[in-house]
Amino acid sequence: MLDVLIHRLRTGAAGLAVAGLAAGLCGATQAQTLVTWDDYTDVGQNAVIEQLNKNFLAAHPGVTIDRTARTFDDLSMTLKLTVAAGNGPQVTKVNQGAADQGTMVKQKLLLPIDDYVKQYGWDKRLSDSVLARMRWSDAGQFGEGNDYGISGLGEMVGLYYNQKVLSDAGIATPPKTFEEFIADVDALKAKGVPAFAIGTAKQHIALHMLTGIEQAHIDASNRKALDDLIYGRGGTFKTQAALDAAKLMAHWAKDGYFIDGYSGIAGNDAVQLFVAGQGAFLLDGTWYFGDMQTNPDIHFMAIPAPAGVSKPLTVGGIDLSWSITSNAKDKATQDLAAQYMDYMVSPEAANAWAAAGFFPSTTPTDENAVKSSLLKEGLAMWKVLTDNNALGHYADWASPTMLKTYDDNMPHLLAGDMTPEAFVDALDADYQAYMKSIGK
Amino acid sequence: MSATTAQTIDGEFGPATASSARPRLQQTTSVLDRAGGGNLLYVIPGLLIYAVFVFLPILAAVVISLTEWNGLVVPTFVGLQNYINLFSDNEFYIALRNNAAFIVFYCVVPLAIGVALAAIISNVGNRERMALRTLFFLPYIMPTAVLGIIFQWLYNPAFGPFNQILKAVGLGRLALPWLGDFTWVLPAVGAVAVWYFFGFCMVVFLSGMQRIDPSLFDAARADGARGWQTFWHVTLPQLMPEIRVVLLLTIIASIKSFDLIFTMTRGGPGNATLVPNIYMYELGFQLNRYGYAAAVAIVGAILVFVINFAIHQGMRRLDRSAN
Repeated sequence: MLDVLIHRLRTGAAGLAVAGLAAGLCGATQAQTLVTWDDYTDVGQNAVIEQLNKNFLAAHPGVTIDRTARTFDDLSMTLKLTVAAGNGPQVTKVNQGAADQGTMVKQKLLLPIDDYVKQYGWDKRLSDSVLARMRWSDAGQFGEGNDYGISGLGEMVGLYYNQKVLSDAGIATPPKTFEEFIADVDALKAKGVPAFAIGTAKQHIALHMLTGIEQAHIDASNRKALDDLIYGRGGTFKTQAALDAAKLMAHWAKDGYFIDGYSGIAGNDAVQLFVAGQGAFLLDGTWYFGDMQTNPDIHFMAIPAPAGVSKPLTVGGIDLSWSITSNAKDKATQDLAAQYMDYMVSPEAANAWAAAGFFPSTTPTDENAVKSSLLKEGLAMWKVLTDNNALGHYADWASPTMLKTYDDNMPHLLAGDMTPEAFVDALDADYQAYMKSIGK
Repeated sequence: MSATTAQTIDGEFGPATASSARPRLQQTTSVLDRAGGGNLLYVIPGLLIYAVFVFLPILAAVVISLTEWNGLVVPTFVGLQNYINLFSDNEFYIALRNNAAFIVFYCVVPLAIGVALAAIISNVGNRERMALRTLFFLPYIMPTAVLGIIFQWLYNPAFGPFNQILKAVGLGRLALPWLGDFTWVLPAVGAVAVWYFFGFCMVVFLSGMQRIDPSLFDAARADGARGWQTFWHVTLPQLMPEIRVVLLLTIIASIKSFDLIFTMTRGGPGNATLVPNIYMYELGFQLNRYGYAAAVAIVGAILVFVINFAIHQGMRRLDRSAN
């Protein structure tokens, strides 16, 4: 027994010595640990990122990755404070917009990556309007100045429709124009079929629905006002498109176009009800592809545009940004972080994400990797958006408090105890207060 | 027991004179009973833990509440500005008003149900009493966050059992979207708090009833008091110490309420269930306004002290007038 133990100890010691020597040799070349934080906590996403990390390590001998995965909320809550304390990741996912990325840029907790953008040609893989969402000037202006991130996954808000529910109601094809869409919705209502699956108790289906319809009324050629609004250059929320969308939502809520009890149903539950066959339409984002693809009758398309709008904007953007933090102190670490980010937006990564049913921000090179029909529809839509420069914005990026302002007022709009005019006024009051606070 | 105990009892009750008893007491009394600074040594570990995890954070919150701080940069001292802003902040008043309404559900209703049930259960047999006491106390052993998640499902208008039952028995008109309805959301969340607390209140009152001298009930019976009169004039006044404890604990619970509301509604819809602690969370962790959030926390803590002090004073007066 003792002999066996001694033998094992000797073997272990020899193994450790070999491992130490190997580590030492690698250290002489490129022994580096890259500390990464991401928000891929979902089982499917986690499997992809783990595989991508393995591939990266295989291509970079001597490098190790110290990965931490946090949920979106946890990441947002801890990232700034941790990096400010000199701890945490060297390369990280970070939410775009003023609250997280903007604050970190201002405190110099993120490093500009303009040189790497040129070196790796990221500006050719991602459109300029996408890169602009991770751009900040030294004066704190969003949407211009230095690049601070890139993103591997895309997102769009569109129209999910259940063809079986439509066909059962005598509607053979999905609507091609906004006018047809309204006619279909009214026809469904007349037949007693709930037109929309929606839940407003949690998540943000109502917000995406309202802003999706609003931005589908804006032609890409007229997008400057929206860009200025979101990037904090000024403007107003009191637009005709916003008011019309709010009126439409209030009308649908009041007159029974939504599934029964929608105000007590969470968004995620509404999606499950839609998958189960309740409601003909659901307006929300590509992040529900995983749930939606379990029902083959469900399809995805852009929210139809009204007559006169040939290149409608689609609310959307990109997954959280990959950025390099101030913890990457030396050039070697920064270069390694950039190599990691480059791999995260590589065609190989796009293929891996697409194969798992997720929506890559760069086009997958392997068409066979895209198995989901929803993903095919989404990728075709993304291509049109990129060609038309028609990727819209999340309206809640406009100010740090805008999401709360939408959340606080939307239930009142839908319950009918707030007029659409007062609703739009409340949004604009939030925005103008923010503009004033930043001296504009 | 040990000889020490026997000697102590001797010392207290024995026939010895005071002068002869004193040395014996000094020999046998525990070192922990001694007065003086020496024993402070034993308190230091507990005091240190208290200081690090309770006192210093409270102190830090007070200091932070006097600053404007986004959690990253050096805080800017703004004096009492956060408090001045707070008292003109409509959302804070909404949160306070909602919290006042929640006190009814966290405190008043469970207390009333608890007293009534205790009075009823105290009159049943021992085995039945034990069974009922366990049954009613069970909700209290569950984490409120778990209760929130479970009840959120129970209340779900599409597939929750509450509405399914209402529809099945022909009361479909009453099948409301409970957690999305501006009128009913607060009572719906409050009902869960009632369910959580009433068993706890009942157990405290039951133990209080065991303390009441049975001769009081005999005397009441001899005076011809009926059940209700006995409850009103004997049981209830005798339970005042327990009522005070229950009030203290449930009021603290209602003012620090967070998890149940957060898991069920997150303060919605449209702030209909917003309470100061949810508001504090939103301000601090979502909007990065840590100074302002700390001011909300401090005002909440002051409220706990003021309300409980007022209740204590009120109960003391009631006690005095009863005696």
